[in-house]
Amino acid sequence: MAGIAPVPEPVAAGAGLFSPLARSQYGALARMRLHMLANNVRSVQGAFELGARTVTFFIYALMGCGLSAGLCIGAYIMASHTMWQPLPMLFWITFIVWQVVPIALASFQEQFDISGILRFPVNFPSFYLLQLVFGLVDVPVILGCLCCLGIYVGFVLARPKDFFWTAVVLAIFAAFNIITARAILAWIDRWMAQRRTREIVSAVFIVLMLSLQLLNPALYQNGNRTRRSHSSHANSQHVSRDTSVWTHSLSTIVQWLPPGLAAEGLRESAENHPGHALESFGLLGLYILGVGGVLMVRLRAEFSGENLNEAPVRSAAAIGRRKWLIDGSGPVAAVIEKELRTLPRAMPLLFAIGAPLLTVLIVGTVLRNSFPPETAPFRLAFPLCVSYTLLGFAPIIYNNLGAEGTGIQILFLSPTPMRTVLLAKNLFHAAIYAGVSIVAGIFAASRLGTPDGILLVATAAWLLFALPTNLAAGNLLSLAMPYRMNLGRLSRQRGSQTSALISMLVQLGVIAVGLAVFEIGDALQMTWLAPLVFLSLAAVMILVWIAVLRRADSMAGRNKDRLIEVLAKRE
Amino acid sequence: METPAIQTHGLTRRFGSLTAVEDVTFSVAAGQFFGFLGPNGAGKSTTIKMLTGLLEPTSGTMEILGEPFGAGATNLKRQIGVVPEGMALLGRLTAPEYLRFVGRMYGLDRNIVNQRTEELLEFMQLANERRKLITDFSHGMQKKLALAAAVIHGPRVLFLDEPFEGVDAIAAGMLKTLLQGMIHRGATIFLTSHVLEIVERLCDHVAIIHQGRLVANGSLEELRAGVASTLPGTDSPQRLTLEEIFLNIVGAGTQEQAQELSWLA
Repeated sequence: MAGIAPVPEPVAAGAGLFSPLARSQYGALARMRLHMLANNVRSVQGAFELGARTVTFFIYALMGCGLSAGLCIGAYIMASHTMWQPLPMLFWITFIVWQVVPIALASFQEQFDISGILRFPVNFPSFYLLQLVFGLVDVPVILGCLCCLGIYVGFVLARPKDFFWTAVVLAIFAAFNIITARAILAWIDRWMAQRRTREIVSAVFIVLMLSLQLLNPALYQNGNRTRRSHSSHANSQHVSRDTSVWTHSLSTIVQWLPPGLAAEGLRESAENHPGHALESFGLLGLYILGVGGVLMVRLRAEFSGENLNEAPVRSAAAIGRRKWLIDGSGPVAAVIEKELRTLPRAMPLLFAIGAPLLTVLIVGTVLRNSFPPETAPFRLAFPLCVSYTLLGFAPIIYNNLGAEGTGIQILFLSPTPMRTVLLAKNLFHAAIYAGVSIVAGIFAASRLGTPDGILLVATAAWLLFALPTNLAAGNLLSLAMPYRMNLGRLSRQRGSQTSALISMLVQLGVIAVGLAVFEIGDALQMTWLAPLVFLSLAAVMILVWIAVLRRADSMAGRNKDRLIEVLAKRE
Repeated sequence: METPAIQTHGLTRRFGSLTAVEDVTFSVAAGQFFGFLGPNGAGKSTTIKMLTGLLEPTSGTMEILGEPFGAGATNLKRQIGVVPEGMALLGRLTAPEYLRFVGRMYGLDRNIVNQRTEELLEFMQLANERRKLITDFSHGMQKKLALAAAVIHGPRVLFLDEPFEGVDAIAAGMLKTLLQGMIHRGATIFLTSHVLEIVERLCDHVAIIHQGRLVANGSLEELRAGVASTLPGTDSPQRLTLEEIFLNIVGAGTQEQAQELSWLA
């Protein structure tokens, strides 16, 4: 017999976390990632991706360094002046950055879906470890680590003898954050994957937003009294006492949470109370075990072959002939109806739309509380808050064919021109955006006060300019740099960094133009100028949008191979 | 002479330095059940993609129903139904939603779309799965749905890329009945399949593509006679199966190679 020698048994075997088989699998995965990275650069788009990724990384690194420097200074001042009370604040900032950034970036980041390795003989401990390790060199982790580094440097500069304990505390705190971030994303994916859990989460989200709305007046009802009596001294003292009681209760709770425990550990070790410090570390360790367990439950289900896409089937009695949502048999109506049906089942799209609303509410509340009750926050807070919601639409508008998957072929096979498809999608997205911006406007007005008529009109005109600008750029990028979206998952999406970078630049451009127009109008004391300028810009951008639509067919024809290759390929 | 339903001349497609399809010329008569065979990577799907406007040919011409066909041939597209390689399904829709969407994309009237959707769901035995998302369908169910979507607008020419792959025997029988019914009513079907028994039973004309070139083209009888003439001692060419013809033309030597892998259990 020529050639192939008999192979009696697998070369590597074993079931442990570091068994020969597991080690060989880790090596294979690492090589695979390396090859993928190298192969990506072979194409022009891949090279662009790498360039865009480098630029994005640089931007985030700068942000992280700024944050890190701030935390470093804060830690230094607190440690050198033994100001222990505000120390947990540094850890809370780090914690929030670490947990919020991955959720905010979930729809944009390209991540390798490690679940794909389940078809190989991988044991659960290896799967768990790989879930933690893969994607570790990622923006949120880098930002979080820079924050920790800032605290470390600041603290050790003030107290050099504590360098070891500080490193231990921050390492434990970092591990807690990594596991927590993974657990949160894994569970969000699970909850949003099925109709029933998605509905429950949506209900909780709405209740949360309403609670936040009510919380602020409840907390500041004394503040209102103050406003009515024009800061009488007695009332001020009363408010101060109430606030102090409330702050004290809150800090008692907060100190038992991981950021508080990490700060407590540092303080105890700095004050030479090793026993108490170990107690804090132990509790922090328990938190890690708890969060790790929560993640394990989720990953165990995934490891056992759970299908997140499974949709419950209704009973035969409940099955009825559903009416059409959009009347008319034209392709525009067909595409709009399809989008309307898909949206409630597409978790990344729902998240992208909903998350900025919550941010507007929180930022609005923070701005409100940062200014004295009699003073309104800066004038442009309202239009900025409302226009911010457009950011959430970036993954939808700038990759508007990404959710089609293999269905992209039907768009090319049918006699409907691509410009009609894009027109329908644009109309749908514009309608949704109109609704979202109205809700954002209501949120912003409730937090920041009702804006004057001119500002309201100017904001609407600004959006009228921003929307066609984004739609036109979005159509171009959707046809030129498409990427497939997995509608069943929030995290582990494949994305295009080039597309994300260009969309970010367009959005920043729109915001910069808006601010400049507002400022010029204010400087010239001609506030009515802004709406006029925005409306003129909107008219120009609508013409640009129409021109892009007219070119959509030829562009889609030129990029057909790539669109089908990228969107219709099997997972 | 009747206009052929499909006609190609010198159809070629190159991907960089790789020539996937080279100088392919053939004609499919109207009302014909045409089998297009070839081993993996031979260029079958690339040919179908070009014939349906999903891929631009590098050179060559093609005509569908007597008219030149290109990506912009909107009216011709109304006459064509396709089950492409990836099935072109939208996973986050239910089957009725998807069929209605496709029907409307082909410009069908609302009532007709509704009526045909129901009929097709019943025929394909998908009516009980109308609330399930397509992403949760089995592979066979997805194939049936893709075929339903390909015929909802009543095409005169139907292109099917591996329609029987992963389909159970009952569903395969049902699909065959549907396709034969369409042929009886005058439609033309262009089929690629690796299930040679089905091709032999259904198709009256077969072409074989190998390494991007058309290596055989004719009726089954013609192919049998051609192969028999190259095989000494074949006294009754009508007994040759399509599999034997196919292996003789493109597959010689693969069985001997398989025997070399003696380490396999």
